[in-house]
Amino acid sequence: MTNKTRDILCSIIVLAFGAAMIYFVKDVRRVIRSDVGSAFVPTLIGWCIIATGAAKLLFSIFTGLKSENKKIVFNQDFFGGVGTIVLMVLYMLAFEPVGFVVASAVYLFLQMLLLSDSTNRHILVFALVAVLLPVAVDALFVFVIKMPLPVGVFGF
Amino acid sequence: MITAALANVFNPVCLFLIWVGTVIGIIFGSVPGLSATMAVVLFLPMTFSLEATRGIALLVGLYMGGISGGLISAILLKIPGTPSSISTVFDGGPMAEKGEAGRALGVGILYSFIGSIMGILALMFISPMLAKVCLLFGPAEYFSVAVFSLTIIAALSGKDLLNGLIAGLTGLALSMVGMAPIDTKVRYTFGNYQLLNGFDITVLLIGVFAVTDIILAGFGRRTLSQRLEQKKYQLKGYGISMLEFIQQIPNAIISSIIGIIIGILPGIGGSTAGLLAYTAEKSRSKHPEKFGTGIIDGVIASETSNNAVIGGSLVPLLCMGIPGNTVAAVFLGGLLVHGINPGPLIFDKSGVYVYGIYFALIVASVFMLIFERMGLRIFAKLLDIPKHILLPIIMIMCCVGAYSSNSRVFDVQCVLFFALLGLLFKCFRIPSTPLIIGFILGSMFEENLRMALQASHGNWMIFVERPISLSFLVIAVVFCTYTVITNLRGRKQAEEEGKEYHEPEEGEL
Repeated sequence: MTNKTRDILCSIIVLAFGAAMIYFVKDVRRVIRSDVGSAFVPTLIGWCIIATGAAKLLFSIFTGLKSENKKIVFNQDFFGGVGTIVLMVLYMLAFEPVGFVVASAVYLFLQMLLLSDSTNRHILVFALVAVLLPVAVDALFVFVIKMPLPVGVFGF
Repeated sequence: MITAALANVFNPVCLFLIWVGTVIGIIFGSVPGLSATMAVVLFLPMTFSLEATRGIALLVGLYMGGISGGLISAILLKIPGTPSSISTVFDGGPMAEKGEAGRALGVGILYSFIGSIMGILALMFISPMLAKVCLLFGPAEYFSVAVFSLTIIAALSGKDLLNGLIAGLTGLALSMVGMAPIDTKVRYTFGNYQLLNGFDITVLLIGVFAVTDIILAGFGRRTLSQRLEQKKYQLKGYGISMLEFIQQIPNAIISSIIGIIIGILPGIGGSTAGLLAYTAEKSRSKHPEKFGTGIIDGVIASETSNNAVIGGSLVPLLCMGIPGNTVAAVFLGGLLVHGINPGPLIFDKSGVYVYGIYFALIVASVFMLIFERMGLRIFAKLLDIPKHILLPIIMIMCCVGAYSSNSRVFDVQCVLFFALLGLLFKCFRIPSTPLIIGFILGSMFEENLRMALQASHGNWMIFVERPISLSFLVIAVVFCTYTVITNLRGRKQAEEEGKEYHEPEEGEL
């Protein structure tokens, strides 16, 4: 993918977003006569987004900069990135049913494992941090701040 | 009256309560998701059993510590501990990246103190006069202030104005989710009742600033340990020389004035004050291109103004009983419980307590300066924790912070949504700061536009017929035009030189 292709793709998403903004408030009716109504500002923002997206699209197509046609080199660790996202999704899904302490302990351990490499992978340290930190945070919230965090099926 | 107030504040119990309040406030302010408001709310019931001055002194300490504590995580972790510290991230974060975390923290703490003192002085000496000016502001003026504040987007968009606009408009769009102001019509909730109140600013901040960075760290995990070695910090005094201090006097004065004015105007808040002061300093600076790369000017502008808001927000509260922000509203509750009725007669009826508040604020500022400086070495030690351990811990704290903002798991899930949005922005080289500005100002923009139009029976001329409103609109147009022209000129120059105009940010995919 080149910079130009990326900008064109971005413009298309922005145009679609602007159109969706306008579409989803089209049925919102005005109830007070002197008022512009609840659809006015979202519609205005929607049109502004479309105008900006269109300007970006035109600029992306007609720009003459050589750098815009440069290929983007992806020098990233996709396993690390996607793995982090997957772990976050699972953690957030488990936050309520499993409970804060257990979900956090498992997430912490796996995330530290994922971000570490063979030179700095200390399993015992990871396990200790993964257990002690959620317990300490939970105790702080329950006993000091008096705001219980989700307990989940295990009851803690 | 002043002597009685001095005696009330400068006794061991009261000083101890201010100290406790300041320290706890700093802790609440430094943890993303916990806020000054939360600290004041939690400790409010405890003040009921205390004598009035002592109870208020505790609340003052919490308020002061809570606002200033936000700079710690803003600089060290690039996560604003409180919304007021958003603009501290812009230069504080890069300073920490360059190994100047200690200097950034020291300067931030010192100018938080200076901003606080300036705000308190304004509260003490010019509050009645300022309160009268505040009364001249109606919906039309607030709308124009919002329009003017939105022009910050142009200034903070960097070299790519279109991308900045996209981010700002997306922020505005996100602020439209939920029940509309005035007629409570439901928009963009798609049948989800959890969205009726819209998104929480804390959740957006945590997602875009913190969790996006953690995901990016996942993509760049091979270099995590290398990055750690580069980040050393230095600590010497408050990190600023006498010459620099003198050079920064105009910055501090202008930022304080902005903070005080924004504080007086109800409903705007410290985050807007910080952003306005940052933009003002960037526009005034001889080297605007250095802003965002890690210079003390940006940290000073942000921290001075957001702390000056504290004194400013107490002006309408004490003189008219109007709370300028959420913390001030809780504070008002505390005053009423102790039989202090804010309003024009407060100086006659409860003068001792008013002076007590002034002195408590000054003491809390001094405590904040001392204890934050003492803890600076400990705060900066955070950077010594290996990134592969620190980042997952931050993630846990982010989720706890998001959950505690409304006690619902939905906010935790929204954090991930905003993190992915932040990631998408990085992919498309769109800056995320204008997104926050748009989101903060969105509701203020819409609500005041509609209220002003209702008051004028649909006459749009109300915005140009009122002098204060017109002034803000004219300034907004001039500022925007200037920024666009500067931007186009820079782009043209780059094209002539045949160089790539956009410089990819660090961590960009």
